[in-house]
Amino acid sequence: MRTLIDFTGKRIIIVGASSGIGKQTAITLSTLGAELILIARREEKLQETMSALEGETHVYYVADISELDHIEALFKKIKDEQGGIDGLVFCAGINATLPLQQLKPDKLKGIFDVNFFAFVETVRQATKRGRFNEGMRIVAVSSNAAIRGDKAHTAYSASKAAMNAAVRCLARELADKKVYVNAIAPAVTNTEIYKQYSERNGEVSDNEKSLLQRQYLGLLETVDVAESIAYLLSPAARMITGITLPIDGGLSTN
Amino acid sequence: MTEQEKIALIEETLEVDEGTLSPETVLEDVDEYDSMTKLGLIVLMDDEFGVKLTGDMVKGFKTVSDILAVMNQKG
Repeated sequence: MRTLIDFTGKRIIIVGASSGIGKQTAITLSTLGAELILIARREEKLQETMSALEGETHVYYVADISELDHIEALFKKIKDEQGGIDGLVFCAGINATLPLQQLKPDKLKGIFDVNFFAFVETVRQATKRGRFNEGMRIVAVSSNAAIRGDKAHTAYSASKAAMNAAVRCLARELADKKVYVNAIAPAVTNTEIYKQYSERNGEVSDNEKSLLQRQYLGLLETVDVAESIAYLLSPAARMITGITLPIDGGLSTN
Repeated sequence: MTEQEKIALIEETLEVDEGTLSPETVLEDVDEYDSMTKLGLIVLMDDEFGVKLTGDMVKGFKTVSDILAVMNQKG
């Protein structure tokens, strides 16, 4: 029998691997044979992810991706210590509920630093000559919010829309290097951040109930997202580049 | 921060005119105290006072003095 997705011998970087979708992606990719290079801010959380992985060949690097000036040194170090990479998953992100009057420039910039600027800089560094193997596939975790409007989500939605636009442009620009770039756009996903969000805002926001009526397959689990990422990283998706794949429990059919 | 300064911050967050609120003001009588300004209050408390409000805590606010009480715990 043929196995559609097998990452044996493939080195894949996951940025933002300490929790939520990033952590689950690491677990899922490890079960498919990948050799993982995990990056996140919190070492303790990274170690938790490491302990949940299958296989012994994984490594991690502690780094704050919002420090844009540090990304270059990080990727140089990874190249020197681990060699060229075959895949990159960008899961780092901030989701903040900020009404316009609280959306001061430093807050807006803080969200864009992680959700957009760090993404572009990560791709820039990962695709420097010698740092990747032919056929590298990049997957960015975007959001359904990029194509929707919601109160108090200007910063988040705009940052993810910017990411989607970058993915389209980068796909064209990097095709000659045989690097493929896509994004996924999950709808509401059952993560720790979501639970905190519900706890903090649930009683003052009536959005959630109506959202789940429209997302009629229910809340996504992180594994649903991770398996879609695995597909886009695999040769099975070889003719796909520059897209943002909705994973939305039916939301976009409304 | 004085109580008056704290009330001024609440007024700014609820987008009401300066001098509109007092500690006794009942929040449900303030038209501007809606879901968006409640979210604004959550951000204010986190940014300025290091308090992470839950939805239940916000629901528990009946008067301006209830908000001030949480502010006073932290500064």
